[in-house]
Amino acid sequence: MNMAENKEMSDEEIIEKVRNSDQDFYALIVDRYQKKLVRYANNLIRDEDKAIDIVQESFIKAFINLNNFDNKKKFSSWIYRIVHNQAINIAKKYQKETPLLEDWDFEGNDDLEKDFEQKEIVENVEKCLSEIPLLYSEPMTLYYIEEKSYEEISDILKIPMGTVATRISRAKKIMKNICQKN
Amino acid sequence: MSKELKNITESVMEQIHLGKAKMKPKMYFIIGSILTFIGLISSVIVSTFLVGLTRFSLRAHGPMGQYRFDQIISNFPWWTLVFAVFGLVIGIWLIRQYDFSYKKEPWIIILGFILIILIAGWTIDVMGLNDNLLQRGPMKRIMQNYSSEKN
Repeated sequence: MNMAENKEMSDEEIIEKVRNSDQDFYALIVDRYQKKLVRYANNLIRDEDKAIDIVQESFIKAFINLNNFDNKKKFSSWIYRIVHNQAINIAKKYQKETPLLEDWDFEGNDDLEKDFEQKEIVENVEKCLSEIPLLYSEPMTLYYIEEKSYEEISDILKIPMGTVATRISRAKKIMKNICQKN
Repeated sequence: MSKELKNITESVMEQIHLGKAKMKPKMYFIIGSILTFIGLISSVIVSTFLVGLTRFSLRAHGPMGQYRFDQIISNFPWWTLVFAVFGLVIGIWLIRQYDFSYKKEPWIIILGFILIILIAGWTIDVMGLNDNLLQRGPMKRIMQNYSSEKN
């Protein structure tokens, strides 16, 4: 494998090679995503050892089902979705999941949100995420830490883009309220 | 962390090389999609027929409410209902297994199905297809069970 050439290949090109000619190319995909995915899984379950297990299992699951991946779509959304499912299953199994309360809310003030700059959010987000319900912290993590677009988050979480926007907006308000108290 | 990350790559590739993780063939997913489609279509057809049958039965026995209700309960082909529900559950499960692009929540799909089934059942009954089934076809016996007490 020519490393320099391979680094320039898109995920989808690598997947095509794995499917059709050389399964060793799958190592490139694992290398490319493992760090991000472990961070993402860790944000979901708050246990690094389990996060690593989840990512490993997800890569194996993705490989087994690779022929089901539609190459016209983004591989990153697909693998994030698999990690999401795996993490939620593990969290349920160990009953450590933060309650996913749909009606969890608080009295917010829209004006407070306006002066909340993106840079400030990025710095604070990891510190405060553990105090926010998963329902809101997950889209927040994907947007600010994993730098996913609303469309990709919508694909990963299987919720409409409007809901993604609403949850991120609420997450910001929650962070403003909870995290500034610390 | 970096050592453990390196282990992820090694562990995943080892499982692939040892053949413990094998890629499922494309045909597996094609067949799965076809079965999903057939399962859902069958479920819609059976359920639509049940809605049509219920409406047909209500029309066939006049305005005696309790009698009509008892008659429906006693003559209802419950196995078809079980078949329809089973088909629907399996179909939705298969969709979730195979179709990554599937974005809607299951209850939206279920509500959509129920709506389609009710509309289709009502349309079939209004168009008189139930009356045609009474005269001929494989459903003749079931339909005649519903109409026999009328005479």
